Order: sequence, then C-alpha cells, then structure tokens
Amino acid sequence: MGEFLSFLGNNLSDFWTYTGFANATSGHLIMILIGLGFIYLAIAKEFEPMLLIPIGFGILIGNIPFNMEAGLKVGIYEEGSVLNILYQGVTSGWYPPLIFLGIGAMTDFSALISNPKLLLIGAAAQFGIFGAYMIALAMGFNPSQAGAIGIIGGADGPTAIFLSSKLAPNLMGAIAVSAYSYMALVPVIQPPIMRLLTTHKERIMRMPPPRKVSHTEKVIFPIIGLLLTAFLVPSGLPLLGMLFFGNLLKESGVTRRLAETARGPLIDTITILLGVTVGASTQASEFLTFDSIKIFALGALSFVIATASGVIFVKLFNFILPKHKRINPLIGNAGVSAVPDSARISQVVGLEYDPTNYLLMHAMGPNVAGVIGSAVAAGILLGFLM
Amino acid sequence: MSKYKVRIFLPFIALLGFCSCNHTESNVKTVLNEVLTYNSNNFQDDYGTHNAWIEIFNKSYGSVDIAGYQLKVSSQPGDTIAYYIPKGDIQTIIKPRQHVLFWADGKPSRGTFHTSCVLDTLKNNWVGLYDSGHKLIDEVVVPVLGKDISYARVRDAAKEWEIKGTDDKHYVTPNTNNLTIERNEKVDKFQEKDESGIGMSITAMTVVFTGLLTLYILFRCVGKIAVGLSQRAKDKSNQKFVEELNMKKEEKENKSVCGCNDEVYAAIAMALHESMGAVHDVEKQVLTIRRTSSPWSTKWNALRVIPQRK
Repeated sequence: MGEFLSFLGNNLSDFWTYTGFANATSGHLIMILIGLGFIYLAIAKEFEPMLLIPIGFGILIGNIPFNMEAGLKVGIYEEGSVLNILYQGVTSGWYPPLIFLGIGAMTDFSALISNPKLLLIGAAAQFGIFGAYMIALAMGFNPSQAGAIGIIGGADGPTAIFLSSKLAPNLMGAIAVSAYSYMALVPVIQPPIMRLLTTHKERIMRMPPPRKVSHTEKVIFPIIGLLLTAFLVPSGLPLLGMLFFGNLLKESGVTRRLAETARGPLIDTITILLGVTVGASTQASEFLTFDSIKIFALGALSFVIATASGVIFVKLFNFILPKHKRINPLIGNAGVSAVPDSARISQVVGLEYDPTNYLLMHAMGPNVAGVIGSAVAAGILLGFLM
Repeated sequence: MSKYKVRIFLPFIALLGFCSCNHTESNVKTVLNEVLTYNSNNFQDDYGTHNAWIEIFNKSYGSVDIAGYQLKVSSQPGDTIAYYIPKGDIQTIIKPRQHVLFWADGKPSRGTFHTSCVLDTLKNNWVGLYDSGHKLIDEVVVPVLGKDISYARVRDAAKEWEIKGTDDKHYVTPNTNNLTIERNEKVDKFQEKDESGIGMSITAMTVVFTGLLTLYILFRCVGKIAVGLSQRAKDKSNQKFVEELNMKKEEKENKSVCGCNDEVYAAIAMALHESMGAVHDVEKQVLTIRRTSSPWSTKWNALRVIPQRK
C-alpha cells in the first residue's frame, strides 16, 4: 500500500512538472497582463478590436508556461506544432499579401483618382519610416534591423510583418505587436500633433468636392498603378500585386463574387490567423528584452514623425497651389496607411472646428496613397538591405 | 472562328512567337560550376579515393531534377564519353542554389554520382551538360591543370571562369559556393558610408516620391481625358436634344402632331358630331362576358403529372 501511495505521489509530482504553474516565470505573468490589457483596450475602449482581440488572445496562448524539454510540440517555436504550422504564414510572409488582396478589394480609390495630387501626401508621410530608420541606427541597431523597425512608421501591420520577416526575423514579434498597437492608438497619437501644427484658419479650410470618377478610370487605376510601382520597385511585388489585383476584382464589376470573398471571408480568416500567431509569437523568453522596449519607443516616434510630416507637407504644398485648390492640412495625418482610421481622425478633428466641414472623402485619398507608399517604401528597404 | 476573334488572337500568337524567338540561356537552371581534373590530395569520394570531379550548380530558386541529363567529356575529337544520369535516385534532385558533385572515375557501377567519364590530366578537356531532351545546356573547355587545382566560375553561375587552388584567396570549393560570402555587402556598405541613414532616407524618399509623382501625373492626364470625354459626350447629347427640339418645333409649325392638316381635323369633328347626334337603340340587359374553362386556363392542365409505375 505504501509503495502504491508513493507511486501515486511520484505520478502527481511528475504531472506537476508539466503544469503551467510549475513552469511559470515573472516574464510569463507580465506578458499575460499585457495580453489582458490588449483585450481590455479592444473591448472596453473599442481600439481596433479586430486586431487587438486576436493579438491579445494570441499573447495569452503564447505565454502559457509549459515544460519546454518535454517535447510536447505545443509551442509556436517548436517545429511541427500546430501553432508553428500556422505561424509559417507569418515567417514565410504569405499572410500579408493575402491581407493586401482583401484591402485592395475593399478600397475605393475614387477620392485619389479625382484628386491625384493627394498621392503626394501619402508619399510625404513615409518620412516617418525613414525618420525612425535614422533614429534606430543612432540607437545601435544595424541597417537591416533599423529598416524593419522603421516600417512601423508606415502604420501598416501586414507590411511591417512582411518586411521584418525578411530583414530581422528575430525582431518580428516585437515589431508586429508594436505596429498593430500604435495602429490601434491612432486616435490617441494623431490629434494632438494635428492641432499643434495647424492654425484655426487652416482647420476650417474647405476643399472643393471631388468630381465623379468614371468606371473606366477606376478600372485603369489598379492596372497602371501595378505596372508603374512594380516596375519601379519589383521587391514590393507581393504586396503591390495583391493590393491592385484585389482592387481590380472590385472595380471590374464582373468578378463580384471573387471581390466579396477577398474582402470578406478571406481577409477575416487571414486576420484571425495572423493576429493569433503574431500574438503567440511574443513568448516571454523571446519578447521581454531591452530591444523590444526600444522598438516600442521607436514605433511611437515613427508614428509622430509620419503624422507631422504629412501635415507639414500639406502646409508647404499649399504655398504653390492656387487658392481655390488648397488642401486642408488636417488631412495630412491620413498619409499614414492606417485605413480608414487616420482618415476618420481627419474628419473628427475637422468637425470639432467646423461641424459642417466633412473631410472624410478628401482624407481617404492620402490614406489609400499611404498604403501604396508604404508598400513601395518596404520594397525599397528590401531591395537595399536584403 | 470569327474575324473578330482572329483579330484578337493573332497579336497574342505573334507575341508568343516573338518571346519564344528571344529564348535565351536564362531558362537554363543548371550549369557546370567547377571541374578538377587531377585529384591528388583533394576531396575524397565515398570510397575514400581521390578522383577527378565535375560540379553542377542549380542556379534557380526552385528544385531541379537532373535525372535523364547527360554529362559528356572529351579530350580530343572523336573520343567523347557520355554518362547518362540515372533516373529513380532521389539525390538527383538539386535544391535551389545548391551543388552536386560527379566523380569522373570511370566507375559508374559505384553509384549514381560515379560517372563513366575520365578526364585527361595532360590535355584540355571539353565537358558538356545535356538536358533530358539531349540539348546542350552548358559546356566548358578545361585547360591543363596542376595537382589539386580546379577550373571554376568566379562565383556560382557567373560567366567568368578562373583557376582556383593556386593561392589562399582562390581556394578549391568542391560541393560548396565558389565564392564564400562572409558578410552582407549591401548592409556593410550602408554601415560604412551611411552611418546616420540620411543617404538611405534621401534615396528612398526620392524613389517613393518619383513613383507617386509619376502616378499623379499619369492620373492627372487620365482624369483630364476622362473629363474631356464626358464633357464631349454631354455636349453631343445636348446638341442632339436641341436639334430634336428644333425639328419638333418646325414640324409643329408645318403640321399637327399626327401629320394631318386642320381640314382633316374639321372633317373628323363633323363626323363625330353627326354620329353622336344620331338615334341609337337602347339595350335592356347588361352585357357580361362569362368565363369558360379551356385546356389553356385550367390549373390541372398546367401542372405536371408525375409518371407512375404500373
């Protein structure tokens, strides 16, 4: 009987070594708290819930402690585990182009086509990427790592994941979480900068309504857009190709089912997988490093630089534009490609100063230009640093 | 096939033909990469012996199966020895950007990678690689080489060849890269010459602006054309409308709506007046139309009768 009891005792003590309680570290607990914070922000504050809930829950999944030496094949970094298989879409970089396909299929480029000069605001806001790149270099990161970190300033989660998986795979978790976190915090980060850099007169400036865009122009746009940008930066082809392909599905008018799938079930599926796996990749042992803290600081800076450069560019651009064609600087922030959040911020801030001045349609122009601009910038960084 | 379809397909066929005429060696995925003719103390084969070897490199980014390919060697005209790379060996699949070594020991019975070819150490050797369609895809004339000295491409799949093994910088590289890359040159260049990142920022922002500026110019032109076309269409429809209006006005002036003149109207009015004023019979009953059933209106006949087995 005594032997049997000691056998049971040994079994239970063996079992205990496999449990999360026995393997938990302070790092795991910190990460679980961060995951819970994400979920709280998503549900209570409604900050990008589509992204923060999968990422937040992914952080919980990725930080359940277990005995790493037991060969359970449950961790995201253990080859052959289910999470590892799902994570391959991130590491091999095929989730981001599929997300771009969906973005293309849901984006209306009419505002941009009717007023193509707004494209330049999308280009100007990319300075956030290169501003952060320079600061990252100064902080001691090597050029490849600095490029991967800088792309956070593009405010484009899929692009950030795509680029970091190629240039700095070891920093991908921190970069992805940082990019998505700041995208969710666009309503907090951008308005103070916009107010700081504009005068009351500028904020109430009215823009002429956009002209009606013909179906032919809408069909031509993705074709010319792809040919031009991909010939210029072939390394951005996976992102640009899928973005413009998705848009052609939408605008052609004859592939409604394909467009609906791309902007509906497909993008939803990939968003779930991408969010959960990116969240799960933030295992405490990999994520809680001094580099991650630096990346978060750089991410915030890059968003500030991108927003400021967009607004300042519009102010400078207005000097050369005729009076009746001037642009409201409040849409400068929309040059970062957080679609449509940053455009919505332009509208909200604009309405605060003139309740009859609707800037949303105008802001959508630089906003979608920002998507193209950040994909081009990612292609350039890949071409130079890969 | 209609003329219209022919008109569409002909340019495509012509384009395809043009592209196939332009077929270059870019389609070739495997190349001869390095040859060593006199192996004294160099790489050993799996039998522990030193033999001459020929290295093949897969320069593509996809796997290539070289089963069915042929290696041919000749040191003088007419003495060509051919070795057919056997099928059925999984090791003949070369992974992307990887190498495979064939032993020119004249002992094909030793395995897939031991060929029937032998290289002459005292003469120049011609080595050719043929694909499974017996088409020559690469060839090289290897000069007379000393002991443990190889003739190799400067770097994998490069056009230029050089002699390796003569000094420490140019070493023989069996089954591995001809040029060992120890650092990322691009990154190092940026680290050396652009410490602050300003160069990269200026270059990249220039490219981003160039791309989007070109797109802006293009779409400004497209927009102007579109506006012009829609304006023209609008003008055209306005013009047509005005013309129609004028025509109607003219017609109204000359004729009435149905094309009859006033005399005809007067005649019709008089006839009507006469007819309405005349005496008519008054019926006592109310006339109705009774509905009758017919094969066209009955519901039963419109339904499909399900056939039943009897």
